[in-house]
Amino acid sequence: MTAILKVDTIQDTAGNNIINESSNTITIGASGDTTNIVGTLQNNGSAISIASLSTASGSAPSYSARAWVNFNGTGTVAIRASGNISSISDLGVGNYDVNFGTNMADTNYAVVNNSASSYSTSQEQWVLQGAYEASAVQKFNLTTRLVDNDAPSFVAHDVANAMIGVFR
Amino acid sequence: MDKRIIYKNTDGTIGIIIPADCGLTIEQIAKKDVPTGFKYKIVDVSEISSDRTFRNAWTIDEAELTDGVGE
Repeated sequence: MTAILKVDTIQDTAGNNIINESSNTITIGASGDTTNIVGTLQNNGSAISIASLSTASGSAPSYSARAWVNFNGTGTVAIRASGNISSISDLGVGNYDVNFGTNMADTNYAVVNNSASSYSTSQEQWVLQGAYEASAVQKFNLTTRLVDNDAPSFVAHDVANAMIGVFR
Repeated sequence: MDKRIIYKNTDGTIGIIIPADCGLTIEQIAKKDVPTGFKYKIVDVSEISSDRTFRNAWTIDEAELTDGVGE
């Protein structure tokens, strides 16, 4: 036999609200409380997994990455780890497409990457990496080049550590 | 994954797709990430050379791309 309890507020023995419902907004706990949720927190049936999400200081909001990938573009090109990435397309030396698992909402996303790194200080060589094109919701193109200051040259170059985050 | 997806670009060079561990099968990734209308072949990673010295000159006979077409 089931029973229905109709209330809009549940309080602890000290009279502090534990759960309150008002104007279609449900408030759990109060300022200063710690709310432990045992089990799975779901959004309309879909699991929400949040290990830690907080702003360390200040009041500016923080935004999590929509996709990320760390891959080796040399030798046998391979993805070390990723999130919301279905694949990398190796299109040639220093030329890759990064394909999203779930498309971005539009093409106004921002690609953040390790855009420059010292390749050989003694030989005055640097590696430049840039998102060449972000005109598609399902992927963007990434090119990497070796800058040799004393050669001088600026040539397509495979990188061993391509690390990229995508925000929207 | 220890598989790769090969297709031929319009300029004759080849594209090699490296699948991520994203919950999709290799066939699903191929259908999704190979350019629309392009034929592809799924191969073992061991069939791809790790010597990329002449990577931009790699090519393939289109008749070998028999596993499907990008959607």
